[in-house]
Amino acid sequence: MTRMSERGGGDLRSWARRHGYSFLSSVGTLVRNPLTSALTIIVLAIALTLPLGLNTALVNLQAVHDDLDRLDSISVFLELEAGEDGARRVASRLSSWRNILAVDPVSPDKGMRELAGATGLDRFEVGDVPLPWVLEVTPNSAVDIAELAERLRRAERVDMVVVDLDWVRRLDAILEVFSRLVILLATLFAASVLFVISNNIRTEIQRRREEIEILALVGATPGYIRRPFLYSGLWMGLGGALLAWLAVHAGLWMLRGPIEALAATYGTSAELTAPSAPMLGLMLAASGALGIVGAWVAVSRQLARINP
Amino acid sequence: MIRFEHVAKRYPGGVQALSDVNFELRRGEMAFLTGHSGAGKSTLLRLIAVLERPSRGQVLFDGKNVGRVSSRQIPKLRRKVGVIFQDHKLLTDRKVLDNVALPLLIAGYSWSEIRRRVRAALDLVGLLDKENTLIPALSGGQQQRVGIARAMIAKPPVLLADEPTGNLDPELSEELMRLFCTLNELGTTVLIATHDLGLVERLGRRTLVLRDGCMVDDRSRGAAA
Repeated sequence: MTRMSERGGGDLRSWARRHGYSFLSSVGTLVRNPLTSALTIIVLAIALTLPLGLNTALVNLQAVHDDLDRLDSISVFLELEAGEDGARRVASRLSSWRNILAVDPVSPDKGMRELAGATGLDRFEVGDVPLPWVLEVTPNSAVDIAELAERLRRAERVDMVVVDLDWVRRLDAILEVFSRLVILLATLFAASVLFVISNNIRTEIQRRREEIEILALVGATPGYIRRPFLYSGLWMGLGGALLAWLAVHAGLWMLRGPIEALAATYGTSAELTAPSAPMLGLMLAASGALGIVGAWVAVSRQLARINP
Repeated sequence: MIRFEHVAKRYPGGVQALSDVNFELRRGEMAFLTGHSGAGKSTLLRLIAVLERPSRGQVLFDGKNVGRVSSRQIPKLRRKVGVIFQDHKLLTDRKVLDNVALPLLIAGYSWSEIRRRVRAALDLVGLLDKENTLIPALSGGQQQRVGIARAMIAKPPVLLADEPTGNLDPELSEELMRLFCTLNELGTTVLIATHDLGLVERLGRRTLVLRDGCMVDDRSRGAAA
C-alpha cells in the first residue's frame, strides 16, 4: 500500500485536487456568508465606480471636444465699402486656399438678424448701424488657426479677423485637469480597494482563526491555508469591478435622455460612449490582482503567528 | 523515534513549563505520560508536533532535531504526527465528515478515497451514523472521538493524545484505550498524556511521570510487572 497508489495518481493530480478543494472552500465561504460578501462587494463597487465614472465622462467630453474642433470657424469682417460683389470675390478667392475648408459669406442683413436675435432687441431698436459683410471661414482640421488668422488679416479688403479660441483652450485645460483627476482618483481608490479587501480578509481571518490553526495543526502548508483566502480576495475584487461597471452603465442609461435633450439645443446629437471592453478587462484584472495582494498580506501576517 | 535531550521550555512571561526532560520513545512503542495538571504534559506533546519550540535542549523526531526545523518543513513533520487535543480542535461549523477528512484533503486524496477512509475511521470510533452531523450537535465524548478519527485517518507513524478520555465515561475510556492499543499493535507509535491513573495501571504499559517540568519516573512494562 504505497501512498502514491492510494492517492490514485501522481503528484500533479493530488496538487490539482488540493487546488480544487481550496477553490470550493472559498466559494463555500462566500455562500455561507452572503451578507458579508455582498456588503464588501458593494463597498468595493462604490469605490471603483467613481474613477470609472469619471473616466467615462472624460472619454465622452473628449469626443465632444474633438467635434467642436472641427466646428471652429474664423469670422473675417470685410471693409464696409466692399459690398456684395467684393465679398463674393474675396470669398471665392479665399475658398481656393489650401488650408480653408469652406467660406460662408454672411450679408449685413443676415448679420443684423443674428445680432437682433442674440441681443433680444428688435431690429429697429438696434437701429441703422452699418454692418459689413462677414465671411465665416472654416479651416481644415489640421491647420494652425493662429497662423491662418494672421494671413487672413493681411488679405485684401479684410478689416478685422475674429478668432474665438479662448473657450476651446479653456476646455482643453479643463480636460487636462480632469484626466489628472481621474489618475489621482484611480490611484486613491485602488489603494482603498486594497485596504477594504485586506481588512475584510483580516476580519475573516479573525473569524476563522480556529480553522486556520486547525489546518496548520494537521499539517497544511502555508500555501494551502492561504489559497482559499486568496480566492476570496479575487472574488471580491472581481465582483466589485463587475458591479462598478454595471453601475456606470446604469448611470449612462439614466443620463442618456437629458444629454440628448441638451445636445438637441445645440443642434447636434450626442452619443454617449460606455466604458470599452478592454477597459472592463483592465478593471477586472487590476481589481482582481489587488484583491489577491490584499488577501496575501492579511493571511501572511496571521500565518507568521501560528508557525513558531 | 522520539528523543528528548535536556529539553527545557520557558514561555514568554517566565512560566517554566519544562526544565530538564530526557526520554526516548522507540518506534512502535506505546507509553503513557502522567503527572498533575500543570506538570508540563501538554507542553511536551506540543514540542513533538512543533506547536512550540524548545528553549533549550533537543527534541529529535526520527533523528531530526525538530526544534531547528525550518518553518517550511513544519507542515511535513506535522503530517507524520496525529494529535488528539484536549479541547478537540474541531471545525465547529462543519460536518463530522469534513472534519475527519481534513488531513486527507490537505494531502490531495481523491474525494472517493476520502469518503471511503472517513467511513472506515468513523466506523472504528463508533460514529458511522454521525457522518453528516454538525459538530455542536455531538456530545463531548463524541467530539473527542471525531478528533481521534481525524488524528489517525492519514495513518501517521506517531499518535499523540492529550487527555483523550477526559470527557468520557469509564466504559468508553476503556474502549478507546483498546483502540489505541490496536493502532499500536498495527505499528503506530503512541504517546498518551492522561491523569487517569487507574486506566494506566490496568493497561500496564510504559509510564512516564512528569512533576514540575521534570521527568521523575519512567516505569517500563517490565519494571511494573
